[in-house]
Amino acid sequence: MDVVLSHIVKRFGQLIANDDVSLTLEAGRIHGLLGENGAGKSTLMKVLCGQLSPEAGEIVVDGAAHARLTPDAAAALGIGMLPQDPLDFPPLRVWENFALGGGPVLTRREARSRLEAVCSRMGFCLRPDVPVADLTVAERQHLELARLFDRDVRLLILDEPTSGISPAQKRTLFAVLRAFVSDGRRLVALVTHKLTEARELCDAVAILRHGRLAGSFAAPFDTQDVLTAMFGAEVAATATAAPPPPPEPLGLGTPVLRAANLVIADDKAVLRDVSLEVHPGEIVGLAGISGGGQEALLRGLAGIARSVAGELAIGGRDLAGRPATDFLAAGVHYLPAARMEEGLFPGLSLLDHVRLAFPDKRREARAIFAERCVGRFRLTNTPNARADALSGGNQQRLLLSLIPDDTRLLLADNPTRGLDAASIAQIWDHFRERAAAGAAVVFFSEDLDELLAQAGRVLVFFNRDMAADLPAASLDPGLVGDLMTGRSTAAANGGGSAP
Amino acid sequence: MTRRAAPLVRAAWALAAAFAVTLGILLAAGAPPFATLAVMAEGGLGSQAAALRTLAAFTPLLLCGAALCVTFAANLWNIGVEGQITMGAIFAQGCLRAADPAGGLPAGLDLALGLAASALGGLVWALLAGMLRTHGRVHEIFSGLGLNFVAMGVSLWLILGPWKRPGMASMSGTETLDQALWLPALGGRPMSMVGPILAVAAFVGAAWLLRRTFFGLTLAAVRQNALAATRLGLRPGLRILAAMGICGALAGLAGGILVAGLYHRLIPSISGNYGYTAILAVLLASGSLLALPAACLFFAVLTVGSVQLPLSLSLDSSLAGVLQGVLVLTLFAARRLRPLSRRREP
Repeated sequence: MDVVLSHIVKRFGQLIANDDVSLTLEAGRIHGLLGENGAGKSTLMKVLCGQLSPEAGEIVVDGAAHARLTPDAAAALGIGMLPQDPLDFPPLRVWENFALGGGPVLTRREARSRLEAVCSRMGFCLRPDVPVADLTVAERQHLELARLFDRDVRLLILDEPTSGISPAQKRTLFAVLRAFVSDGRRLVALVTHKLTEARELCDAVAILRHGRLAGSFAAPFDTQDVLTAMFGAEVAATATAAPPPPPEPLGLGTPVLRAANLVIADDKAVLRDVSLEVHPGEIVGLAGISGGGQEALLRGLAGIARSVAGELAIGGRDLAGRPATDFLAAGVHYLPAARMEEGLFPGLSLLDHVRLAFPDKRREARAIFAERCVGRFRLTNTPNARADALSGGNQQRLLLSLIPDDTRLLLADNPTRGLDAASIAQIWDHFRERAAAGAAVVFFSEDLDELLAQAGRVLVFFNRDMAADLPAASLDPGLVGDLMTGRSTAAANGGGSAP
Repeated sequence: MTRRAAPLVRAAWALAAAFAVTLGILLAAGAPPFATLAVMAEGGLGSQAAALRTLAAFTPLLLCGAALCVTFAANLWNIGVEGQITMGAIFAQGCLRAADPAGGLPAGLDLALGLAASALGGLVWALLAGMLRTHGRVHEIFSGLGLNFVAMGVSLWLILGPWKRPGMASMSGTETLDQALWLPALGGRPMSMVGPILAVAAFVGAAWLLRRTFFGLTLAAVRQNALAATRLGLRPGLRILAAMGICGALAGLAGGILVAGLYHRLIPSISGNYGYTAILAVLLASGSLLALPAACLFFAVLTVGSVQLPLSLSLDSSLAGVLQGVLVLTLFAARRLRPLSRRREP
């Protein structure tokens, strides 16, 4: 199967997501599609699998040209996509999900036997009667892949498949993909923003930048060339430079945060029995797969999820079971992962955000906006713009500028998710500044590389429990990955303990 | 089309569509469409008496409309306005029947106390729904609806039980209050101007609160994103209770004005569907404070004018209710189904 994307143009209002992109995907190969967040990779793949209609250009599949595809037509041609976030039905069972979607719905018996067949062929282990809600991200990926393989997909598109899975699970996935293309008739298109993954897996890569094709390379490719195509020469130089080492704690005096046998009850999960001390100047990273308990810890430390047992003291105040306002008064600030959904007021102006965040100084809101938002955080919007008009990077800049200066404990859930390289660098610079000034920063990132590069200490979570507390010296991606997926325990590996 | 003209064009299109559907419904009901509309307009505004009746209906509608703007500002669907009116009427009646017009306090003070009691009654009833929402996780639609029935039951029990007329209980209500305890009337008609003045003041006050104060901004924040409001320490639960309380007090005041200014006694179903009609009026004004008085006036004319339908055209007066509902639904649909509307890309 050969697929050619020819002069594809796709617009969203003013934004040109794909600007005259042409790409050839050959059978028997794994093609990488690289680029920064927002470069247009996912859009292009959605055009290819029929979820979006392009404004111009055509899709040529085995010589037959199509002006656009529908999801049905794409499936009939053998094009299938594994989306970034699983598009399944969590309350339904594994075999029910397998039976649904793409072609005729299978009967219970058909679905079970075909699921078993495809699982044994690919080496997956999926129990048919388990609700999908109970599966890990990796298992949900396997289910989706099993469904696509069963429907005889020939072009498999994967959108950031390694976010939320461990290094070991990643190796398994890559082996499956290599086996998939080995017969020379099928092919894979892999969307990623991680160069290392592309180097490891892909036979050829195409790079998108600001919606345009910025270059294509065949393996083995030169890292510097690819980076330059992705970011432009200037940023590429800094991107390859190692980040500055994480700051040392300012001293082991009074901890900012002290938790003993703390139990946190979040909406969905209960985090058991956490004991922990964090000192001023520390940057602590939380590692764990989605739902492992690290999000619950952040929300519990912010006072949004309730502490139902144990002790919790922040800045010397006892806060277990207290309302969120007491946490704010103690100098805690929480940056949510879903910036718009949990952090901002979509229909209110930026100025109103400043008024709400600094109610005592609301008469000086304009001055604060000019000084903090524009001056310090380089927000490029006008004060009367509505929050829902902000780009992802500017949303985070606004949220950063609303953090009070006297914050002692800054909690951040995936602070850089979906942002471009410049914004990410700005966020880490700011966090390091805060830490140097005596605040403690606790953050969770799904990107293990980022986590290990930025954190001075890593707490690993597995199955709603704190599995390990690793000092910077004993950080190793393999170990952290095994701990966060429960493949090993801290004791078995002689992992570090609290300093 | 310029940016400024766009909302006007949209409103005109929506009104035209609603008018067309209304005419269609009238035709289908076998009524002469234009004559029917003329009869209703005439019945609502045709004479001084009609205008006063319309004003009497406009007063509780505007009060409840202003009240609902406060709860809508915090994204609350306060369906319980009917019950809050009823409770206000009960508290006012209870306070006024205990007053002694001959001696004790001056009548003006008695009346002021009666109206204050009505506001308190509505406030209590609304806070009940509010606390069920913030502490019991019961949505205010269900608690409001339930409490409407409870309030109606309480008023019936009082009318037929403890507060019944001497001799025998009557569905026509309790004994009429002493004339000294009526709100001062206008030109000998059974209509007081105190009510409309209070209603306009309440409306202006609510508009000021929502548009000009920090409290109004925090309500908007709670509506936009309760989670983010929690994160900033704005205590959404407390704001919700405050909004419910203000709304209940204004609705209760409407009930008090109905007792002291119009009926001069407690009657069954004293809320007269004003609570529900006010929801329609706020929806018709679609969140615009400026358009709210016009929407309330429009519904007051429809309500009062429809009384003429059986007399002049042998039509059932419930047709007015049908028209109100159809109008609001069509306006909402027309806003979405506008021709040449640009759909947003996913």
